[in-house]
Amino acid sequence: MKDRHKAFANLLVRRRWMLYLSLSVLLAVVVCGIFAPYLAPHDPSFVDFSHKLESPSWDYPLGTDQLGRCLFSRLLYGTRVSLGLALLIVVACLLSGLLIGCLSGYSGGWIDHAVMRVCDAVLAFPSLILAISLIAVWGAGWKQMAIALVIVQTVYYARFVRGLVINLKQQTYVTAARVCGTNPVRILMRHIVPNMLPPLLVVVTLEIGWVIMDISALSFIGLGIQAPTAEWGAMINEGKSFIRSHPRLMIAPGAMIFVMVALLNLVSDAFGENKGFGSPLRRKSKST
Amino acid sequence: MSLLIADEITKTYSATGWFRKQTPEGKGVREISFTLEEGSCLGILGESGAGKSTLGRIVLGLLPPDSGTLTFRGIDLYRSGRSERKQWRRDIQVVFQDSYSAMNPRMTVQDIVAEPLRNYERKSSKEERSAVAELLELVGLGADDMTKRPKQMSGGQLQRVNIARAIALKPKLIVLDEPVSSMDMIIQKQILDHLKELKEKIGTAYLFISHDISAVQYFADRVAILDRGTLEVRESFDPFT
Repeated sequence: MKDRHKAFANLLVRRRWMLYLSLSVLLAVVVCGIFAPYLAPHDPSFVDFSHKLESPSWDYPLGTDQLGRCLFSRLLYGTRVSLGLALLIVVACLLSGLLIGCLSGYSGGWIDHAVMRVCDAVLAFPSLILAISLIAVWGAGWKQMAIALVIVQTVYYARFVRGLVINLKQQTYVTAARVCGTNPVRILMRHIVPNMLPPLLVVVTLEIGWVIMDISALSFIGLGIQAPTAEWGAMINEGKSFIRSHPRLMIAPGAMIFVMVALLNLVSDAFGENKGFGSPLRRKSKST
Repeated sequence: MSLLIADEITKTYSATGWFRKQTPEGKGVREISFTLEEGSCLGILGESGAGKSTLGRIVLGLLPPDSGTLTFRGIDLYRSGRSERKQWRRDIQVVFQDSYSAMNPRMTVQDIVAEPLRNYERKSSKEERSAVAELLELVGLGADDMTKRPKQMSGGQLQRVNIARAIALKPKLIVLDEPVSSMDMIIQKQILDHLKELKEKIGTAYLFISHDISAVQYFADRVAILDRGTLEVRESFDPFT
């Protein structure tokens, strides 16, 4: 019995440790992205044919690409694009998802039915394919890509939020608030939304990783970020012609994507397992 | 005129889905009639599943009955306009059985008790603080409890906070839905005595819903027995008949 307790405690400690490590690496990457102009040894789009396809050296930490641009600087600047855009998209999705989900879940009835049927229709398509077809209509570019991804992703958020709202709506304190005359908007703002932040945080961290992948995927096939801008997916695309001779052109941005997505998954996992978050939803399931 | 008149109220829960089986009869309430005078207390006694909480929700204006009318101070609760509703919503308050889940765990006691005040009265933060302190004092808590959160309080204290919230607007009627069932005898008596005292002070009527015969006998002026959805009002109550 005692051993089992010890093992459990160890697991918790290890989890915490992992969470802090993941978070600090993520933070470090974000900081590097923010301070890219100061950290980058070269201009990321400065073309210099005399140095093309050079191997890593003191001057070029990760070498240069086929146009003689510094790969390391391009990765740094790519962080800005990939992470910044992913964050922007997730925040936009979260806001619209919250709005739609709260409206649908709290009002119930035919509004709920109508909104959910529209969501079903969007969910019937694979999300990336739908995003591609929207971009095909609007034309390639980062703005179009962002809007398309927001539209496609919002549906998932709306569904998730709706479920949480319906669950929280049953809580006695919501009934008590109704009895003492609190209007629906206030109930949502004061009683429902604050209590669903913990599970939302888990989803959001996970989702940032997914969106990074989506951005990279769309940029890789040339629908997202356009050529001169440094972005991980687009860099993989440019490097693919040199996969045999200079694989590092693909491996470096690929590794960045992999590491970021993996870290975000780990963080999301740790959030999900953390009991100290005080979600009424989770507490209920734990006690039974 | 009576404060609250319930006339032949019926509410049954029949499943209306396409593929759902018909639920057996017996849930809900059938043709319930009673009256409640201003400043008095009607005890509703019933075993679990008898429809006590359904009745409570109907009286609170949260659950429209299938048929029958509920008249509160001359206003039909479920056929009232916007302005009328605003008035009776203020005059009917509630204390639930589960004191912990009746409060948002993220809010402080001050926020919880002040919520009804914020909905109906414009008060400066200073006035609000003193109003909350006064209410807490009325239910036997101290002003220093204001900054606490529900997790930091005991069941008895939490129920006092619930009562403070219910009386904040000086309502005409408070529905007490098993307010002391989850507490030990000493705390039960303390809280019931407090409620009695409040009745004298602010002239509120109570609808006291409970399964506890002795508590009802101790607390209520009149008793009605709810058995499998039908209600029988008794002027005098002897538990052994």
